[in-house]
Amino acid sequence: MLIQILNGIVYGGLLYLLAVGLVLIFGLREVVNFAHGALFMIGAYIGFSIAAMGYWWSGLLVSVFAMALVGCALDAAVFSTLRKHDHIVTVLVTFGILLILETVVTKVWGKAYLTYPVPPLLAGTVSIGGSPFPIYRLFVIAVSVAVAVSLSLWLRYTRTGLYIRAASTDARVTSMQGINVDRLSLIVVGLGTALAGLSGVVAGPLLSLSPTMGNYILIDSFIVVVIGGLGSFAGAFIAALLIGQIHNFGAVYLPWAATVLPFMLMVGILIWRPTGFAGSRT
Amino acid sequence: MTTLIEARAAKPRRKPVGHAMLIGGAVAALAVGAALPWIVPTKIAMSLLAQAMFDALLATSVGFLILQNGRTSFGQAAFFGLGGYTIGVLVARQWVAPELALLAALILPTAVAFLLGLVISRITGVAHAMLTLAVGQAFYEVVFRWRELAKGDDGMSFDLPARVFGFSARKLQDPAFMLVLSWTILVLVLVGLVLFTRSRVGQVAAAIRDNEERARFLGYSTVMPPALVYAIAAFIAATAGILQACYNGYIAPQMFHWSTSGFALIMAIIGGAKFIFGPAIGAIVLFYIKDFAGQFAEYWPAIVGGILVVVTLTMPRGVVGLALLLWRRGTGR
Amino acid sequence: MTGHVIEGIGLSRRYGGFAALDNVDIAVKQGEIRGLIGPNGAGKSTLIDVLSGRAATRGGKVLLNGEDISALTPQERRRRGMARSFQRTNIFPDLTVEQQLLVAAWAVPGADIAEVMDELRLTELADIPAGEISYGDQRRLDLALALVGRPAVLLLDEPAAGLTMEESLGLARILRDLANRWKVTVLLVEHDMQVVFSICDRITVLHLGRSLSEGTCAEIRVDPTVIAAYLGTEA
Repeated sequence: MLIQILNGIVYGGLLYLLAVGLVLIFGLREVVNFAHGALFMIGAYIGFSIAAMGYWWSGLLVSVFAMALVGCALDAAVFSTLRKHDHIVTVLVTFGILLILETVVTKVWGKAYLTYPVPPLLAGTVSIGGSPFPIYRLFVIAVSVAVAVSLSLWLRYTRTGLYIRAASTDARVTSMQGINVDRLSLIVVGLGTALAGLSGVVAGPLLSLSPTMGNYILIDSFIVVVIGGLGSFAGAFIAALLIGQIHNFGAVYLPWAATVLPFMLMVGILIWRPTGFAGSRT
Repeated sequence: MTTLIEARAAKPRRKPVGHAMLIGGAVAALAVGAALPWIVPTKIAMSLLAQAMFDALLATSVGFLILQNGRTSFGQAAFFGLGGYTIGVLVARQWVAPELALLAALILPTAVAFLLGLVISRITGVAHAMLTLAVGQAFYEVVFRWRELAKGDDGMSFDLPARVFGFSARKLQDPAFMLVLSWTILVLVLVGLVLFTRSRVGQVAAAIRDNEERARFLGYSTVMPPALVYAIAAFIAATAGILQACYNGYIAPQMFHWSTSGFALIMAIIGGAKFIFGPAIGAIVLFYIKDFAGQFAEYWPAIVGGILVVVTLTMPRGVVGLALLLWRRGTGR
Repeated sequence: MTGHVIEGIGLSRRYGGFAALDNVDIAVKQGEIRGLIGPNGAGKSTLIDVLSGRAATRGGKVLLNGEDISALTPQERRRRGMARSFQRTNIFPDLTVEQQLLVAAWAVPGADIAEVMDELRLTELADIPAGEISYGDQRRLDLALALVGRPAVLLLDEPAAGLTMEESLGLARILRDLANRWKVTVLLVEHDMQVVFSICDRITVLHLGRSLSEGTCAEIRVDPTVIAAYLGTEA
């Protein structure tokens, strides 16, 4: 039972890392990034390639930095030009980018399933409530909690964080206040994609790597973002934990419900508040 | 008489094409369709073109939702798959007569879409895109896991019955016949959609798309017409699914997958979703680009993605919109 | 029958702790043009919303020709002869002028769009998408959508907002003329006092969600409470 809850938190943590990136990017650029799952996947593959050479931790660092750079490039080249467009245009454009990135992955790493190793430092299990539990999974929980805590502290107590919260509320007004929204969003989008990369690497040893791995988790993180209220950091955190639990408990006790329940939850939330978040801003 | 003509000429443009021209165009298109087996050189080309017709129907379905309801769907494959699976499963199990199976395969997706439309028509924009993505993927997951239904992710082949409505059903797997049939259905669907958009309920649906609140205060229920549009779009998607399932004699979860929905959406956008004919033309344009880019087949998704980005950003009315613009400039109107 | 076409009794509405409407009574006679004035936040738009069914009232009721319509939806109210316009231009941008007037007409048995297009000088624009016509034309189209089918009651929320003085007075003249000929009872929210005094038969003054005063134009002009609360010394 306890093990199941922990497993749910592990998956919820991964979802949180992705969802919070989506929230950051949507908040500042009003872009719903359909390519986020693909960035997650590329992060995982980059980390994998380096880990396969025996440098697991360097793989993590390189992947996070590489994805931050990719994010900055995306923001400067694409997202910044989408400002004047309808939200649905941003969806189509990022969908196009998703297809391009998937092709890149297929070309570079192939279609076969790859197994991402666990770092030697975190191999093995500990006993929790009498059952063995992989140490690596505890590490995943620790990473997500650390990100959640430092992100909320950063947003609350630093000047940049204040600007980001202001810009997420209304980018236009904020830019009139003399804040450079373009530079701010470079940081924010870079951070969002770096988190996608981080999530990809830590998820690597839990899931197997394939060019479709990004799609499943993208849809789950959309569900998280919608349930949490698009644009809400705290909402994303709570929703990620919720979906993580549903995902895991369902898989064990109610396989049918686990497949469909998150979707039903999303439909229900959208019907209850159809114009609450994404709808009203469209 | 002259004054009447002058009055007409003085009026600003945009008189829709008359019914006579519409019927004339449709008859010409049907004639071209009937001649296709003699125009298209090989059986393989006919087979590929027939597949392009299925794509065109699905793209038309996605585009019609954008045109008439203003909603972008990432899950239209749900109805494509539902149509294909209903006929595939019913025919393979031989639970009902093939004619009834066909009817069920048309009605079930349409009814599901109508009920869903009653609920989700209030949801707009990006939320709608995410929601339809999730709903479509939920269908995929169910079919993927439910092995007893149709062998889960392996997919299932099935044999067509000997006769449907007194005709030999084997013909459905003949490329030439299927090409003519699917072309004909596509033409009829497009004509039907034109007539729908000109009908009262079509115009009311367009008004609701433009401004839901005002339509309500003009005295309309703003739930029914959009739900009807969802149902019609699903009917078209189901038709495409049925045709593809019968032609291949095979159904697989891929029919429900969000990439199927996504590619149909891309075709609609490339062709121009502001036009009834746009998505179908988009499907055919993509078909020829794919043919042309044959040697780069492994890069195909990236090519399509790139085209999507460029078209979305530079020609929001798609290929058809661009062609119309060039034509208007060329004729100096 | 009270002899009033539209009547609101004890209408109240709160937004959070703020009373947008506080027990307001209003009754407008057949054929009357009633002006609704008051400072920003007085509750004018809220009153229109409650009467038209866009917002619910907390207690109180709305009568149309003496019949309680409080529980009816906006579309049912329209079908019984109540039409309204909105403060912000509220048209169908992608439909042509004629198309959207037709849509409006289909909801009202026997409605004729030719007369509306003619009276509001929209005939020339019939085939142009509404999003492409000028702002002044859009405001006339907005009014036309509400006037299709000669409604019994017309609730107008600042129909002249954003128009020049000349355009406003022109619109007011058309409105006065049509209300007379088509026997439309009008409840009109308007900031422009010149428009209000030129076409209204009677005026209701709202202040802080309450009905402050009601009377003819002449009475309102000299009402000391109204001058103190709203009109100031200019009027």
